[in-house]
Amino acid sequence: MSGHNESILREPLITGQNITYAKITDDILTPVENKPNRAWWIGFIVALMGATLWVVAVSYTFWNGIGAWGLNKTVGWAWDITGFVWWVGIGHAGTLISAVLLLFRQNWRNSINRSAEAMTIFAVICAATYVVSHMGRPWLAYWVLPLPNQFGSLWVNFNSPLVWDMFAISTYFSVSLLFWYTGLLPDIATIRDRAVGLKRKIYTVLSFGWTGNVKTWQRFEAVSLILAGISTPLVLSVHTIVSMDFATSVIPGWHTTIFPPYFVAGAIFSGFAMVLTLLLVARKVLGLENYITMFHIESMNKIIILTGSIVGVAYLTEFFIAWYSGSEYEQYAFINRSTGPYWWAYWMMMTCNVISPQLLWFKKIRTSIPATWILSIVVNIGMWFERFVIIVTSLHRDYIPSSWAMFYPTWVDVGVFVGSIGVFFTLFLLFLRVLPSIAIAEVKLLLKSASEQAKLEQIKDGHLDKEQVREYVESLEKFDSVKQEEYAKI
Amino acid sequence: MESNKKYWKGLEEYKNTPDFVENNKNEFAEPLPIEDVLNEAGLSTVTPRRDFLKALGFGLGAVTLAACQPTPVHKSIPYLIKPEEVVPGIPNYYVSSFNGQSVLVKTREGRPIKIEPNPNAGEFNCGTDAQAQASVLDLYDVSKLKAPVLKENEKATWAEIDAFVKGELNKVQASGKKIRIVSSSVNSPSTKNVVADFTTAYPNTKHIQYDAVSYTGIIKANENSFGKAVLPKYNFDKADLIVSFGADFLGTWISGEEFTSQYISNRNYKTLAKGKMSRHFQFESGMSLTGTNADTRLPIKLSEQGPALITLYNAITGSALPGGALPNNTSADKAIKLVAKELLMNKGKSLVVCGSNDVSTQILVNAINAAIGSYGTTIDLDNPCKRYSGNDAEFAELINEMNRGEVAAVFFLDSNPAYDATNAKAFTDALNKVGLKVSFSDRKDETSSLCNVIAINHNYLEAWGDANAYEGYYSVVQPTINPVFNSRQAEQSLLVWSNAPVQDYYQYVRNNWEKNILPALGKTWNELLQTGVFAANAKTAGSYSFSQSLAAVAQSIQNNSKALAKDIELQVYESIPMRDGKHANNAFLQELPDPVSKVTWDNYIALAPKFAQTLGFKEFDVVSVKGANGYTIELPVLIQPGQAVGTASIALGYGRSKVGKAGDNVGKNAFPFVTFANGTLQYATTVTLSKTGSTYELAQTQTHYSFEGRNIIREATFKEYVKDPAAGSGNHGAKHKSYDLWDKYEKPGNNWVMAIDLNACTGCGSCIVACNVENNIPVVGRDEVRRRREMHWIRIDRYYSFEEEGKKNVTEEKEIAHMENMDRVSVVHQPMLCQHCDHAPCETVCPVLATVHSSDGLNHMAYNRCVGTRYCANNCPYKVRRFNWFNYWNDSRFDNYLNNEFTQLVLNPDVTTRSRGVMEKCSMCIQRIQAGKLTAKMEKRPLKDGDIKMACQEACSANAIIFGDGNDPESEVSKALRSERTYYVLEELNVQPGVGYMTKIRNTDTVQA
Repeated sequence: MSGHNESILREPLITGQNITYAKITDDILTPVENKPNRAWWIGFIVALMGATLWVVAVSYTFWNGIGAWGLNKTVGWAWDITGFVWWVGIGHAGTLISAVLLLFRQNWRNSINRSAEAMTIFAVICAATYVVSHMGRPWLAYWVLPLPNQFGSLWVNFNSPLVWDMFAISTYFSVSLLFWYTGLLPDIATIRDRAVGLKRKIYTVLSFGWTGNVKTWQRFEAVSLILAGISTPLVLSVHTIVSMDFATSVIPGWHTTIFPPYFVAGAIFSGFAMVLTLLLVARKVLGLENYITMFHIESMNKIIILTGSIVGVAYLTEFFIAWYSGSEYEQYAFINRSTGPYWWAYWMMMTCNVISPQLLWFKKIRTSIPATWILSIVVNIGMWFERFVIIVTSLHRDYIPSSWAMFYPTWVDVGVFVGSIGVFFTLFLLFLRVLPSIAIAEVKLLLKSASEQAKLEQIKDGHLDKEQVREYVESLEKFDSVKQEEYAKI
Repeated sequence: MESNKKYWKGLEEYKNTPDFVENNKNEFAEPLPIEDVLNEAGLSTVTPRRDFLKALGFGLGAVTLAACQPTPVHKSIPYLIKPEEVVPGIPNYYVSSFNGQSVLVKTREGRPIKIEPNPNAGEFNCGTDAQAQASVLDLYDVSKLKAPVLKENEKATWAEIDAFVKGELNKVQASGKKIRIVSSSVNSPSTKNVVADFTTAYPNTKHIQYDAVSYTGIIKANENSFGKAVLPKYNFDKADLIVSFGADFLGTWISGEEFTSQYISNRNYKTLAKGKMSRHFQFESGMSLTGTNADTRLPIKLSEQGPALITLYNAITGSALPGGALPNNTSADKAIKLVAKELLMNKGKSLVVCGSNDVSTQILVNAINAAIGSYGTTIDLDNPCKRYSGNDAEFAELINEMNRGEVAAVFFLDSNPAYDATNAKAFTDALNKVGLKVSFSDRKDETSSLCNVIAINHNYLEAWGDANAYEGYYSVVQPTINPVFNSRQAEQSLLVWSNAPVQDYYQYVRNNWEKNILPALGKTWNELLQTGVFAANAKTAGSYSFSQSLAAVAQSIQNNSKALAKDIELQVYESIPMRDGKHANNAFLQELPDPVSKVTWDNYIALAPKFAQTLGFKEFDVVSVKGANGYTIELPVLIQPGQAVGTASIALGYGRSKVGKAGDNVGKNAFPFVTFANGTLQYATTVTLSKTGSTYELAQTQTHYSFEGRNIIREATFKEYVKDPAAGSGNHGAKHKSYDLWDKYEKPGNNWVMAIDLNACTGCGSCIVACNVENNIPVVGRDEVRRRREMHWIRIDRYYSFEEEGKKNVTEEKEIAHMENMDRVSVVHQPMLCQHCDHAPCETVCPVLATVHSSDGLNHMAYNRCVGTRYCANNCPYKVRRFNWFNYWNDSRFDNYLNNEFTQLVLNPDVTTRSRGVMEKCSMCIQRIQAGKLTAKMEKRPLKDGDIKMACQEACSANAIIFGDGNDPESEVSKALRSERTYYVLEELNVQPGVGYMTKIRNTDTVQA
């Protein structure tokens, strides 16, 4: 292993000097093994208040009926399904990072996959709550499952995209959970080995008897690869099927064949934005700047430009096809989107999803942490509006003008949505406290080859091409976690 | 005996040890630790294993028994002695009449639950209007009184009431003061006789009839012109050309459902197929239902109505009455000249009607009708209509009499002047001076709460009675349920108080018929109870000529017109749902959208779009409306295309303060705007408007008024239709080849389909109420309608389009916004209900198969299976699915309808009520289809066309809805669907709807002019 050196042209994935395996473990386990700091408490209390709001709003809905929301005879879905699709979309980055990037041997995923996957799971949980709570009779939600039953020969309708959706979401959730937990095993064992008392007992159970011998590691690697293989199609399938909730309908604005790729791109777009939103804060608060570096941030920003542009092209294509189709209903649906009563939602979506991510073409912006953080939030605002535009503006004026109506949310609509964000952050903050937010074992793999200190040693060895070294040193300038004076003399 | 062996129980017994002998004396060989257990020490000892098991066993048994406490049992008591004709599950039908309309009352297990038109009524079977359909709910109104009221005692007995009233009457009699019976028009022969008997007993009695919405003007005009003080019988079916000046004859004018039936008989698909269609001009200021159906409608101001009639008269007769000019309305002027020409061409086949209650105006109308030969053909003075016989002047005089203290007793029968009299304040002040005040109201309403006695009357469904809507046409009222509360029929009360020999009203009615009516007809009482109606042979309608000088009339009309031509001209009118407000507590009617404005649960002030702009009002701005008499109310503005500029309209019947849970304080009372002038009530007046600064959102079921040029509405002119019956229907050329993803459904037996004739539908909305009653559709209230959540399974979409000079109809919102002149509005009404698509988009998306297709062409909805994802409603291109957002029948927020056990008796037991969270929609009255099939099966015969009728179809006066079996090529619906005019809404989606629509035809092109 030690004979293998990575090209100096590649930017380091771990920065800082005097990083040892022990230091990595110490750094990453700091939040798990110590009392939480004030920032965590503030965040947690705010998140918990949000979660409480969610409980209140959902209970109110269950008690009174869906009428507590602002829906009507024309607009049967609004904030509920908007929220559902938004969360499923956010949940997309996790699998993409953990599975697809693993298969493509993108080592930089090692620092961010754990949090991204956790985020996926929590986002899918939020989405799943919508699946149940938007139903008129949520206590019968299990009827959408093809369970043997005593109702005679009653079965589900396999023609219905909602049934496909149920399969897609549950499969995605199970596989993501499995993948995430498998990856956690060596790290849980690490915590176990360092913990005492009750904590040790708990982590002993959670670590499934991980011993760390060669055979275990070998199987671990094999399982990871297999799960990555299984997950990869899911990255495409979940949002494809979510998009079919709309695409298989007859409603102008929904009935669109471009939806599957467009939804998948949008999902990755919003997923990466959410990863950035979370990790930019976490890295600062938890002191993980050396492991989640500017390289990671920039890479994710690049994916955001790509997917954001795909989404932009999709928006324009929809318009073109509406015109090209010659269908007056289709044409009206799109003219109404951009100029009708919900024009502001449409232009909000356009600005946030298509125009603002283009700013990331500027290196200054995509390597600026505040700018990136703000843009990541802007992207998710835009993606929420995208779903709102698709759902509400298509429904509110469809075929028969007599039924055209407006949708006005109630406090319960807002409460369920804002509350679901609270639920998400509550879960995420708890996760930070009990499990390592970065895959310790996987990051350690990078230390000998892809860390700043390893590269500095190579440079000091002096066998490297001066031109390449200069380029490498220049590339380090953007890193906020690199002590630039070290390189001043080189 | 040796064989008598002895078996030992053990060695102890064999050996007979002392221990054994000792122990054998006891019942139990081993001592039981009873004492140990029972003393205190015993309780603290360790429980032996067996005891533990015993205790456990006992405990389990005891707990199990305790848990067997039965849940509360609701006992349903079967008929101990089964009434002969009641079979549970089988409805009984009784003939009766409602406001002179002959109806069939459907009862189930003794409960009246539905009103249907009486098929025996012959030419008088004209469907039912919304009021008749909704009237069953009035029976189950919780706001009614449960016992008669004597002064403040709400639990008075009839004996107390009788003693009090008789005592008072005797005193009045002795004092020689006047007794007055105030009622709305009475046409019942028996009631008239009762009043006559009462008058005989108390000779100072006078019967004063007054109607909140009066027709005195016509009656007096006929008296003046022809010496006959009657409301004529109008024959719209005999008129090829109809000209109406502000008469809403398809809606509220005299007898809407009857005129609708007559009118449509000249315009429906059958007549059109013969190449015929009547022609209808409407000149009016507010947009009425009739106006929306007119071929040509021109807005005129109220002050222009008189001059317009003079112009018409002059143009027809060539005379030169003064005042015949419309200087500010050239288009109306032009149209009237054209109308005059056409009227002269159609002499004897045309009819001019006017909605005014002004005697002079009606005299002029008589003159016009006489000039065009209407009498004897389209107007029949010899078989007059008896629905309205009120005399406005008599009621006005009553107030004076009361004020002078001449009246000592007053009885209110079916009248509520404290609410609907124009000068209600003067009336109530005068009423204070009357000693005995008796109301026969069923509730503490505005008038009865001022009375000493409320002798609560039966609902008509509990009562005996009769009606005589037209000369020679009689119908019976018979009870369909025992009186629910301690009420007594008003007529019976009057009989008791007048000490009549026959005090039982049933016997009285029967005697009256058997003595006075039946002999002339040669029928028996039992025959009457079966058929419900008897019509004597109508007299031949005579022709009448008009031969009076019109100078004074013209002068009076001119004066009226001048008086109106200032400020803003206000028309107060009856709205279709609320009429005169008598049924304001009926939630079905409150939630029935106005056919034109689609507003529910409120009245409003209607202003023309451009006019509102010039006044600086926007829609829903609350304005203060100040009448000439100083009466002021605040009402929201409704922008009403077609309203004449310079005028405003406000509906009567709202603003009741003491009617009940549903109707109290809904809207504002407009009766005080009515003025009393020239001997009649005048419904045109002037007001001033001022902004209040606040806004109020009206609850409308439809907020977008144009159809955006979409081919969901297809129309043609009559001229185009005559050239090509398929004009405008899109049935030209080869159809596109279509491809299906899905298999075709086999429909081996029946294929239930529907045809709707857009040319017949007037938009009146009685189908909506019929459907509500039949299918237990929840009423959701104003707030929920505002949230666009009304539950109606059938709705009537109303679209406006605008004519622009030399251009096609403008139908798109964007273009309409830029129009200068919005006066020429044409309207189309489209009933919209579940289309029962063969490739239903709702069916494929339901995850749990709660909505599926049947083998007879219906789209079923299994409520019990529905989990409420609402995808079906989203995916319905027609937006006809309705979601139960709340538990409407058991939620205190929806207290104006089913939230009590009494009102729940109105529910149709054949249709399940839906819980919250469940989708519902038109089921094509599947319970009726099943019932029809079962009847045919019991009678061992195949189903016949017409065996099964939908609730909406049955209620429709215009026969605009035709339902039947599409597999039967000879069925009426199959024939109708084969019409060249038939198209399917959104057929290009290939959802294969089962409801066909026939193009709207407008007879707008002048034939020769």
